[in-house]
Amino acid sequence: MRLFLASIVSILLFIGIVPILAMLIKAFMPDDTIPSLFGSMQTWMLMRHSVILASLVTVSTFLLGIPLGIFLGKTDLPFRRFFIFLFLIPLLVPPYIIAVAWSDLFQMSGLPLHWLSGLPGSLFILVSVYLPLPMLLTMIFLHTVHPHLEEAGRLVATWPLTLWRVTLPLIRPALLLAALLVFLLALGEFSVPMYLRYNVYAVESFTQFSAFYNFEAATAAAIPLVLFAALLTVAENRYLRNRIAIPRHFAQKNEFLRITLGRNRWSVLTGMACLAAIFVAMPIGSLLLQAGGIDSYLRALHVAGDALLRSFFYAFVGASVLTFFGFFTGYLFLKKPFYAARTIDPLLLFLFTLPGTVIGIALITFWNTPSTNIVYATTLIVLFGYLAKYTALTARISLATLAMVPPSMEEAAQMTGAGWFQRMIHIVIPLTRHGILGAWVVASLFILRDISITILLYPPGHDTLPVRIFTLMANGSPQLIASLCIVMIAAVVVPAAVAWGWFHYWGTKR
Amino acid sequence: MKTRDLIIGIVILVVALLLFWKSGQEMTEKRPVVVVYVSEDRVFSEPILKDFEKETGITVKAVYDTEEAKSTGVMNRLIAEKSNPQADVYWANEPIRAEILKQKGVSAPYLSPNAKEIPKIFKDPDGFWTGFSARARVLIVNSGINERPESILAYTETRWRGKSVIANPLFGTTTAHIAALFTYWGDDRADAFMRAMKRNGVALSTSNGESADFVAAGRYAFSLVDSDDAVNRIRQGRPVTMVYPDQKPDEPGCFIVPNAVLLIKGAPHPKEARRLVDYLLSKETEHKLAFADCAQIPLHPDVEIPEELQPIDTIRIMQVDYAKVAAKLLEIQPYLKRWVSE
Repeated sequence: MRLFLASIVSILLFIGIVPILAMLIKAFMPDDTIPSLFGSMQTWMLMRHSVILASLVTVSTFLLGIPLGIFLGKTDLPFRRFFIFLFLIPLLVPPYIIAVAWSDLFQMSGLPLHWLSGLPGSLFILVSVYLPLPMLLTMIFLHTVHPHLEEAGRLVATWPLTLWRVTLPLIRPALLLAALLVFLLALGEFSVPMYLRYNVYAVESFTQFSAFYNFEAATAAAIPLVLFAALLTVAENRYLRNRIAIPRHFAQKNEFLRITLGRNRWSVLTGMACLAAIFVAMPIGSLLLQAGGIDSYLRALHVAGDALLRSFFYAFVGASVLTFFGFFTGYLFLKKPFYAARTIDPLLLFLFTLPGTVIGIALITFWNTPSTNIVYATTLIVLFGYLAKYTALTARISLATLAMVPPSMEEAAQMTGAGWFQRMIHIVIPLTRHGILGAWVVASLFILRDISITILLYPPGHDTLPVRIFTLMANGSPQLIASLCIVMIAAVVVPAAVAWGWFHYWGTKR
Repeated sequence: MKTRDLIIGIVILVVALLLFWKSGQEMTEKRPVVVVYVSEDRVFSEPILKDFEKETGITVKAVYDTEEAKSTGVMNRLIAEKSNPQADVYWANEPIRAEILKQKGVSAPYLSPNAKEIPKIFKDPDGFWTGFSARARVLIVNSGINERPESILAYTETRWRGKSVIANPLFGTTTAHIAALFTYWGDDRADAFMRAMKRNGVALSTSNGESADFVAAGRYAFSLVDSDDAVNRIRQGRPVTMVYPDQKPDEPGCFIVPNAVLLIKGAPHPKEARRLVDYLLSKETEHKLAFADCAQIPLHPDVEIPEELQPIDTIRIMQVDYAKVAAKLLEIQPYLKRWVSE
C-alpha cells in the first residue's frame, strides 16, 4: 500500500510541483529581472488593480452567495433545484464566454459598450461566474450543522437570529474557504479583465510572455501570484482544512431542518427569478439571439465539430485519470501512512489556485526537450497540465466521500486476511462509488471548460472547443462566435444536467 | 465490486489512454504531414491550409494564435521549442515577428521560387522570411467628416482633439507601426509625435477592429487601422471611407504590413514544409486572400484585386528596413508601456 500510494504522490509531484520549482529557480537566475520588475510603479499599480478587483469580487459573491445558498439550501422555496442549476451555469462555461455574451447584449440593445468595460464590467462578469462557489459551499455545509443545535436556537429565537448566531458561525470555515477560493480565482483570471480592458496583474505575466517575448520576466511576473497562492494555501491548511475537509456530521434529508418561508416564498421566488434572469438568462439569451437559426448551429458544428468531439474525449480520459489519482490521494491524506502525506493536499490546492498559464509555461519549459518528446509532442502534455491543475478537486471530493466510510469496515476485512488491494476493490471502492462518480463528473466539467492549460499545451491540430472559439474570435463573424458559444454551453450544461438528474435520482432512491 | 467489472474498467481506461496519447503523435505518422504555427487570423488562414491539404494530399496540423487576447503567442512557443522544434513552418501576420525569430536563430533560410516577383523590401535577402499578401496601415474616417485627414499627423492637430482613437500600441500591427515611425523619423521626432498625440486626447481601444467600429459608430472621427478592418466596414455598408495616409512626396508614405512565412530550423518535415511555403507564396494564395474578408493586398504584380483595394505599386510605401523595425520594436516596448499607462 505504502509503495503504491507513494508512487501516486511521486507522479503528482513530478508532474505538478517539479516543473513549477524548476521555473521559479530559473526565474531567480537572471541578473536584474526581478528587481527591475518590482521596482516599477506600473507593476504595483497592476497589483493594486488585481487586489481591488479580487477583493470586490470576493465581497460581492460573499454577500450574494451566502443568502442565495441559505434560500436555496435551507428553505422550502419552490423550484430550488432548477435555480441551483441555473446559477451554476456561468461557473461551468469559460468566463470569457459570459463576457462575450454581455458584450453582444450591449451591442444589440444599443447600450454604450464603455459601461461594460473596465472595473465595473469585469467585476460584474466575475461575480456572475464565481457566485456559485459561496452559494454551493453554503448549501453543502448547512448540512454539517447538527440539527439539535439549531433546534436549541429556535427555542429562544427566530430563524434569522438562529441563522446569524448559530448556523453561520458553525459553517464559518467553509465560508472562509469559499472567499479564499473566489479571491484566488479572481486574482489569477485574465481573460475577462483583458476582454473588458481592465489592466490587472495576471495580464502582466502574459504581456511579458506574449508581447515582450521575455520568459524570465514572465516567470518573475508570475511569482507574486505564486506567493499569493502559497500564502493563502498555507492559511487554509493551517486554520480551515481540518474543520471542513472531513465533516463530522452530515444531516440526512429526514433530520435536516428546513425554514418555512410561508407568505414570503413568492417574493423570494420573484427575487430569485430576477437574479437568475440577470446572471444567466440575459447573457445566454443574447447569445441565442445573436446566433440566429438552426443553420448557424449546423455551420458551427461543421467548423468546430472535430474540436467538440476532442473536448469530450479529453474530458473523458482526463477525468478518468484525475479521478484515479484524486481517489488515492484522498485516501492517502485520510490515512496518512507516512508523514509526507500531510503535504500533498496543500500542494494540490496550491496548484489548483495557480493560474493555468503559469502551470502551462512551467510545463513547456520543463518537458520541451528532445528526450521528452514522448510527452511534449503528444497529448500527454495536456493530460499532465490537467493533472497538475485539477487533481485537487477530485482529491477533495474523494477525501470527503472516503471519510464517510466507517474504518471498522476495512478493519473487519483486514481481520479476515484481506490484503490492501482486495479491501480497496471489494469494500472501499464499492462504498464510495457515487463519490468517485461525482469526482469524475466535476473533473470532466472542469476539463471541458478549460482554456488556460489547453491553449498553451495542445499539440498541433488537436485543439478543443474553447480553444477553437478563442482562436476564431479574432475577426470571426459574431453570429458564428455566438453559435459556437451556445454549442460550448450546451456541451457543458447538458452532461451536467444529466449528471445532476442522475445524482438526484440516486439520492431519492437511497 | 466484481473483479470482472474492475478488469473491464481498467481495459477501457488503458485503451482510452493509448488512443489519447496516440492521437497527438505526429512524428511517427506515415502519411505526409506538415506542422504550421499560424499568427494570421484563423478565419482567414484555415481555408487556405485546407485548400493546400486538398491539392497536395499533405495533412496540415496547425496551432493558431489568438490575436486579440494574446494569451498563447505561438511565436513564444516557437522560441520555447527552439532546441526541440515541433513546427515546420510559421505563418506570421507581420514580418516583425519573423525578423525576431531570425535574430533568435529559430528560422532557416529558404528562397522559394514563387517569391521571385515579390518586391525586395518585403523579403529577407537571405530567405529567412518572405512576405506575401499585405495589409496597409490606413486611416478609417467617418463619412460624416467634411475635411478628411490625410496624414497620421492629424492625430496631433488641435482640430481633431478628442476625436481620434488608436488601438493599444502594446499589441499587434499598431506596435509595429509605431516602431516603424521611430525607425523612419528617429527617436526624438517619433517621441514628440507620440506625446503630441497623447496631449491631443487620443482614445485607446483594445484592437484595430474596435477602433474601426468606434469610427463607424461615429464615436470618433478617424483611426489608424489595418486595411482589412476598413474594407470590412465598407463592405458591411457602414458610413466610413478609407484613406491611404501620407501619400505626398515629402511625407513618409503608408506603412505596409505583409504576412510573412518562414521555415523553422530543424523542421521535422522539411520537404513538406517547403511545399507549404511555396504554396503560401503563390499568386493563387494571394488572389484568395485578396478576395477573402481579410482583403489583403497582393505583392505579386498582375494579381486581380477587389475594387476597395489599391494595387501595391500605386501606393506610396513607407521605406523601412523591417529588421531595423523589429529591433526598434523590442527597444521601445518599455516606452510604449509607459506611454499607455501615463
